[in-house]
Parts: sequence; C-alpha cells; structure tokens
Amino acid sequence: MAFKLASSPHLKVQLQTQTVMRRVILCALPGIAVQSYFFGFGVLIQVLLAIIVALAAEAAVLVLRKRAVLPTIKDNSAVLTAVLIGVAIPPIAPWWLVVIGTLFAIVLVKQLYGGLGQNIFNPAMAAYVMLLISFPVQMTSWSVPLVIAQNPMDIGLSLQAIFGSMSMEQLNSYKLGFDGIAMATPLDTVKTDLALGLTMTESLNKPVFADGFGVGWFWVNMAYLAGGLVMLKLKVIRWHISVAILASLFVCSSFGYLLSPDTHVGPLMQLFSGATMIAAFFIATDPVTAATSVRGRLIFGALIGVLVYVIRTYGGYPDAFAFAVLLANLCAPFIDYYVKPRAYGHRTGN
Amino acid sequence: MLTLLEQIDKGTLWRSHGGVHPPELKNLSNQTKIGQLPLANQYILPLPQVGDSALLAVKTGERVLKGQTLTSGTSFAYSPVHAPTSGVVTAIKPMPSNHASGIHILSCIIDADGLDEAVVFETAKVGALSNEEILTKIQHAGIAGLGGAAFPTHIKLRPASDIELVIINGIECEPYITSDDRLMREHSDEILAGIEIIQRLLSPKRIIIAIEDNKPEAIEAMQHALNRSHLATGSTRITAVPTKYPSGGEKQLIQILTGQEVPSGAIPAQLGMLVQNVGTAYAINDAVVNGRALTHRVVTVTGLNSQTPGNYWMPIGTPIQHILDALGFAGNLSSDKIIIGGPMMGHSLPNTQAPVLKGTNCILLPSQQEIADDDAEKPCIRCGECAVACPALLLPQQLFWHSKAEEYDKAASFNLHDCIECGCCSFVCPSDIPLVEYYRIAKSAIRTQNEEKKQADFAKQRFEARLQRLEEEKLAREAKAKEAAERRKGTMSGGDRDAVAEAMARIKAKKAAEQQNSAADTATAAPELDKKAQIAAAIARAKAKKEGAPTDDSSATAVPADDKKAQVAAAIARAKAKKAGANTAAETPEPQATDKKAQIAAAVARAKAKKASAKHTGTVDIDSTVPSTDKQNEVAAIDDIANDAIPSDIVTANTANTANTEISDKQAKIAAAIARAKAKKAAAKSATIDNQQPSMASDETLNPVDTNLNAKSLSDSAQESQQDTVQKKARIAATIAKAKAKKAQAKLQEKE
Repeated sequence: MAFKLASSPHLKVQLQTQTVMRRVILCALPGIAVQSYFFGFGVLIQVLLAIIVALAAEAAVLVLRKRAVLPTIKDNSAVLTAVLIGVAIPPIAPWWLVVIGTLFAIVLVKQLYGGLGQNIFNPAMAAYVMLLISFPVQMTSWSVPLVIAQNPMDIGLSLQAIFGSMSMEQLNSYKLGFDGIAMATPLDTVKTDLALGLTMTESLNKPVFADGFGVGWFWVNMAYLAGGLVMLKLKVIRWHISVAILASLFVCSSFGYLLSPDTHVGPLMQLFSGATMIAAFFIATDPVTAATSVRGRLIFGALIGVLVYVIRTYGGYPDAFAFAVLLANLCAPFIDYYVKPRAYGHRTGN
Repeated sequence: MLTLLEQIDKGTLWRSHGGVHPPELKNLSNQTKIGQLPLANQYILPLPQVGDSALLAVKTGERVLKGQTLTSGTSFAYSPVHAPTSGVVTAIKPMPSNHASGIHILSCIIDADGLDEAVVFETAKVGALSNEEILTKIQHAGIAGLGGAAFPTHIKLRPASDIELVIINGIECEPYITSDDRLMREHSDEILAGIEIIQRLLSPKRIIIAIEDNKPEAIEAMQHALNRSHLATGSTRITAVPTKYPSGGEKQLIQILTGQEVPSGAIPAQLGMLVQNVGTAYAINDAVVNGRALTHRVVTVTGLNSQTPGNYWMPIGTPIQHILDALGFAGNLSSDKIIIGGPMMGHSLPNTQAPVLKGTNCILLPSQQEIADDDAEKPCIRCGECAVACPALLLPQQLFWHSKAEEYDKAASFNLHDCIECGCCSFVCPSDIPLVEYYRIAKSAIRTQNEEKKQADFAKQRFEARLQRLEEEKLAREAKAKEAAERRKGTMSGGDRDAVAEAMARIKAKKAAEQQNSAADTATAAPELDKKAQIAAAIARAKAKKEGAPTDDSSATAVPADDKKAQVAAAIARAKAKKAGANTAAETPEPQATDKKAQIAAAVARAKAKKASAKHTGTVDIDSTVPSTDKQNEVAAIDDIANDAIPSDIVTANTANTANTEISDKQAKIAAAIARAKAKKAAAKSATIDNQQPSMASDETLNPVDTNLNAKSLSDSAQESQQDTVQKKARIAATIAKAKAKKAQAKLQEKE
C-alpha cells in the first residue's frame, strides 16, 4: 500500500512567499505612480528596465548554479529588488546605471551569497550604494519635479535621456526650475545651503520647498506611507521595524531641531522627504536582512533611524537610508544573537 | 492586588503567546449523537509494557471476555490492557502500530466471537471507598489520559505535592475533532461525577472546567450538570476560553487560565496544578462507580472522505480498516491521507491494520482540497511569522537553521526541547518549510547523541577506574615488596629473630625427615609397591644420608634431632660395626640390600663411615662428639632392625636434646605408623581385589588413619580391612603414600 505520508501539520495558511512579494510590489505601486507623476516617465522606464535585467540575471545565475529556474523566478523577489532599484535611481539616469546596479544586486549581493534568504545585505541598497560611490554625478542628477520645471519631460524625452541620445547640456536643462535656476533634491538643497552658511529658514524659501516639504517629495512619501499601511493591514510586514525607524528619526531630529532650529532639518521634513517612507516600509522591512525577533526588530529599526539622522545631518551625503540600512544589516545577526525572546517556562532569573 | 484564586473566581483570562486560527470545521462531525460501531472480526491490542514492566496474562488460544486483563504487573507505572470484547486470542505477535512510522510492536490479536460477553463488573459507591481503593480501581481499569498523550492517570492523580487547582480540559482546540464536544453534550453528568472523584482524591481549592467558546452547547450542558452535581459552586467553575489553537495544550491552558507558566522541564504539579481531559474524567467515573475498564472511547471520524462523519464509541484495538469499511471511505488509499488525530498535530497513518488506541481521538479522512498540498520546501526568507505564531515563544527560524545544518547543540541552546510540536510555525510558513519535522529529527538526534554520550562517559569512567585500580595494585605490590625486603633485613640483623629463624628451619627439616622416614618405611614394608615409589624412597634415603653426614660433622645438637639422621646414623653404625667386627661381615650381603639402590645407599653409608672414622682418628678435639654419635648410631641400628619407633625415644633421651626434638620424634613415630598401616593396606589391596565390602568398614579404616591413632590400632584396622578390603581405599592409600614420597623428595630437593 502506498500511502501518502506527511509530517504534521497538514494544514497551511495559503500565504506563500511569492504572494508576500507580490503584495509588497503592489503596495509600492501608489508610490511609484506619484513618483512618475512628479518626475516623469523616466521612473517607470527605469523600473521596467531593472525588472527585465533582474529576471534575466537571476535566470542566468540559476542556470549556472544548476538550480530550477522557474520556481525561483516565480517567487517575485528579484522583481521586488528591481522595483526598489528602479525608484531609487534618478529618472533621467543613463540606462547602463540601472543595468549595472541591478546586475550587482542580483548576481553579487543575492545569488553569490546563496540566493533568496541567504544574503546578508539588502540587494537594492547595496546596489544603490555601489552606484552612488562609483557614479556620484549620475546618481545625484535628479530631474526637477515636472510641476516646477522649466522644461517638463515627456515619455520620448525620457527615453532619449536614459538611452543616451541626449547631450549633457540638454540634460542639464531638465534640472532647471521654472525660474531657470538648477535645482537639486530638497535634502541636497538644504545640505548645500547649510554648508554655505545659510539658515534653515533661508533655505526653505527656495522654490523647491514651495509646499513646505519639497515639491513632490511629500506626496511621494505619503503614497509610500499609504502602501506601507496597507501592507501592515495585510500582515505582509510587521510594524516593529517601520515604527522604530520613524520614531527614532523623529525623536533624534526633534532634539536637534529644538536645540538648533537654524542648522537642523525639522522632524516632519525628515519624515516626509527623501527616501524615508519607502525605506521605512519597503526597504528596511526586507525580512531576509533584518533582525527577526520583535525586540530585535525594534532595535534594528531604531538603529536605522539614528544612523539616518546622523548621516543626513553630519555626513557627506544628502540622504542616508542606503548606508543606514546596510550598516544595520551588518548588525542584524548580532542583534538576533543577543536579543532572544524569553521562551515559555524560562522566567527571568531562573 | 488580587490573589490568583480571586482572579480565577472573577473569570480573569490571560493571553497566551502566538497561536493560529485554522478553519475549525467542527460542524462536519458534531451534528449527530455518538454512534455505535458494529463489532469487528478482529481486535489488535498493543502491549507496549509487556517485556518491560508487565507480563502476559493470557495465552494463544485462550478465550477472553470483555474487560478481562491481558497483562499483569505490579510496578507503579503499570497500566493494564483489557480485552474490548469476548473472543479468542489467536496470536500474540508484533503488529503494525498506530504510529507515523508504522513500526511493529507486540500486540495481542483477539478474534471476536460476536457474543460481546463481559466479565462481571464490580460496582461501588464512591463514598464507601478509600482514596487508595479508588486509585487502585483507576489503575486496574487501565485509565490513561484520553486527550492524546495517554499518560497513566493513576500516576497523575498521586502527585507528590499539594494540588490547589485542577483544570478539566474541554478545550479541544484542534480543527475537526469533536469527540470531547459530543461527550460533554451527552454525558455531562458522568463527567461531573468523574470530576467529583478527582476532587475527592486531590481536594483542590478550585476546579476549572475550561471549554473553548466555539462549543456553546457543551458549555451549557456542562453548566447544567455542574448545577446538578455535588460540587460546590464556589470552588468549581466553567470557563469559556477564546477559540485559538493551541489553547488546549496543557502549558498554554495553564497560561490562559492562571497567567502562570510551567517552568521549562517541569510539570504543572510544580505549580500546584493538574490538568485532566474531560474524557478521562468520564472514564474515571466509569471505572470507579461501574467497575468498567477502559475498553472503549469516543472517536471522531471526519473529513470529506468520510461518508458518515460523526463520533462513535470505539473499542480500543479496533483496526482502522474496519472503521473505514463500516463507516464508508470515499477516498483513495493510494492518494489520500488518513490522519490519526487532528490536522495540526496528527500523524498520517502508514497502515490501516493499525488499531485505535487509548489516545486516539480522531480519524481524519480529508479530501485533497482540505489539506495542504505537499509543496516543495522553498528558501526561508526569515519573515519571522513562525516566531509570531509560536506559543512557546521560541525562535522557530533559528531552530530551523541550526536543525537543518545539524548544529544540534546550537538548536538546543535555542530551547528546542521546549517545542511542543503544535505545528503553528509550519502552518504559517510562507516557504512551506516542514519546520516541525526538522525539530523532530533534531530532537531525536539530540536524544541519540545524549545516549551515546552517556555510554561513552560510562565507558570512560570504567576505563579510568580500571587504570586506577591497576595503579593501586601496583603500588600495593611495591609496598609489600619493600616491606618484605625490610623484614628480611631486620631478620638478618636481629639476634632473636635469628634464633627464631633457626628454629623454623629446624622444624622444617624435621618435617621433611618425618616424611622421608615414612616414605622409607613404606618402601621397606611394602616392597610390592610400584617402582616409582621405591625409587623415590631410595632417593629420599640417599639424600637423607647425604644430608645427615655433614650435619654429623658440624654440630652435635642438631644431629640427634633428626630421626632420619638417626637412620642414616644407623646405616653408618652398621657399616662401622662391619668394619669394626670382621671383614667377613663386610663381605656378607646386607639383609636389606635386595635392591640396587639400597646397595648403593649402603655403599655411600660405608664411605661416610670411613670418612667419619678418619676424622675421628685425625682430630682429638672432637673426640667428645664422635663417641656420642657412635652410641647414638648403635641405638639407631637397633631401631632400624626392630623397625619400631619406640627406641628412637631412647635415642633422644640418650642424646639429651631439647623439647621440640622430642615432639618431632613423636610425630615421626606417628608418621611412621601411618605409613606402615598404609603399606599394609596396600598389601591387603593387592591380596584381595575383587572382594566387595560395605563402605562403612572402609570408613572405619580411614578414620583412624586420619586421626593419627597409634600404630597398633592402625595395623589392626588394616588387618580387618584385609578381610573386607575396598579396592578404592587401598588405591587411595597407595596414592597418598606415593604422593608423600614425592613430596618428601621435592622438599629435599628444595632444601638442597
């Protein structure tokens, strides 16, 4: 008699890894949409390009590693990595930037460590940092939000910009505001201004802060926050890391702002500009590279928040999430080792 | 701050960590009354304790009645097995067990005769029984925990410490299972009666009957029964517990009801708590009041592959195949699973011949849509959902990594042993990792490792003990040798010791002489003794002579001491007499010189005599010594001729020696007498070989010899024995004589 045998339990929640990944991607869509609205089709092109490269790279490596290709491709983890790289890269960055970044993320950071679940570093953030250090000019060339741009980009122009049939002068023209002055991202602007000896108030008078937080960035962050809340609701992620990041960033920046409002970015602007929300909900919550226990995750999140504040305020880069997440990734195994929950029946003290 | 009991009375509930909410699916089987199953043709009763703490009480071919015990035992943990119906024991052999492995275990197979005849049940009134009697009844009824673990109830009800809180577990948190639900609805009074007995045995302060809130009918029925019962309403309460898996786990239930945690590695009794299943309470009542053994239990048969899902009274030992046949199985045995227990913790059954056990609460026959596909395991993404679901607050993910990597010590350091295998982690795992299976493998590997380690440690201990013992022995030997060496040194230096040593040496010499004497006598008195004896005797004699000669020269005091020497001296005397007398005498052949050896001895003696006389003539100083020797020699010669021992006394008297010389002479006499008697006996033996006599006579013969009576009586008895000789005795005597001769020879050689 050939019975079908299996170990208990015989029931399972129908929530699979691929479903989890798909839900994360879907929840990121509002953010991507808002980002495209403000920064043009370049965002979508970069994301699509990253996805194609990621899937191809993953398949190739799996063939080389003699692993089943389809089941792994279908887990959507490579797609998620690609999406995160795509939205992190400036929309008008040249195509090879995203290709190099994605290849680096999938091949080196993920597959060479053993594939899904084995990597130490968040692939998207590792790729971002690699690109930022290697190609600082291209990586900081953010186009001006369309609503305040002198020359808004359409889809054709975006393609031209990305695939290189555009001169440098032409490209630079898309970084000009409606007043004809070149504009950087809000955090970059603040950083530069503070370095130049301006006060926060003076810096905030610039057109890029037309809505108080930096045009476009506030809404992009709001969209990612909404997506994040949906993920929490769907229990795709747990709240600990995100809340810890936001709370620690808020607390740190509040202290700084209260002590010296002229030289510090305010807590609200810290939370709603740059990559804060997408990082807090979509990047830092990558379970593979985060701490696993509840307390460990709180520590992990708080560490990211503090690092972000420190790097944004005192570091050389305008935004800091990639660095903060990678540094926290390094700490995750140690956090897990030292922060073990008390198991049932193991009272403290006995 | 409220005390725990006050909080319990208020109905406070605590939160247990983790847990999951799988679909309950209880309606499938809880809609109908508990049914009866038609009798099977055959019942299989595993006898796990036989060969360990129990003995078989039945033989193959024996007819047994329902309720008759199949085993017997006296140990504390013994839990008997009973026949579930009447029939004939057809075999007692290993059968597939109701276990995930399907391992064969010794089972008693009963072919039912269909009469279902039962033994006479001893009914009793609980009030008339002592606690000890109740416990004995519970033990003899073979009651074990019916919640699934099947731990003998009589052990649990005899806790070492006081029990303050008894929890009656009616949670039944696993999906599908409704056996406790139906039992509570239909037999609430009996359950309460069982609880009363538990209350009587343990007298706890509070009793909580805990029922999950998805069983409102059961809660109501139990509440009514509680109102009807004799239990005080103040101390007993029914508590509805929010539905969550695994609230029915003992540790989880205690946490929910009291907020306390059972310490790791301990049992609830340590907290003054005890948890019993409602089914067990029912069985306790049945056993104590009705005298019925635990031969039946309620089993849920459910799942979409079951044609008549519901609850049934099933005899313990019913083969699962019979249940499938009787109740209808819509599935396909080759592609569908049969699960014993619930979908969360139950095991899939490898063989349908396996029987229903005391802990079997459910037979789940799921269709393929109902249970999870056997998806391939995917990589862990460290999502941590398992840790959120774990009711034991473990880190299932870490346990998984270490179990998979076979780093079992690390897995153990993450408290693997606290895992209750509830399956929540596997249930929530998005990567379809069979976590619980990894833990089971790791647990058994750790068990094996510990076992091996224990054995290795034991072997090491033994080895070290041996090394130590050898070392101690060596040291003891060395110390002994050292001591002996020191003693030797002391002997050499001390004058007193010297004297003692000399005396010892003398005594030894005497002893040797006696033996030699007797050997010599034997040789002369019994010439028909075999050659070897003769030769030995002759050699002994020769040696005695040889030894005697130098002593003659050295000291006068030592010489007479030895009877043997006297003999030698006799020979010398004879030689001298010959020499002194006439030359003709020397030419005359010696009377005893019939054999060559004797002749040689005589020659040697003569030569020595010459030497002695030469000395006599050569030195004036020793004149005083030599005459006395001569005198002695003369007397000795008489002794030799007369072949009597008495004159040797005269010899000693004449030579005026020490007291111990006399003693030794006496001994010598006795020895000679014995030897003579033996020789006679030997002669008698050769004379009458065939003559058979009662052994009494021979005993009489032997005894005098042993007690060293005088020679006369010895010879008398020897003569008596001549008439009624037993050939055996004679042979023994001859052997003794021979042996003595040899011994004498050996001693002499040693001396030399």
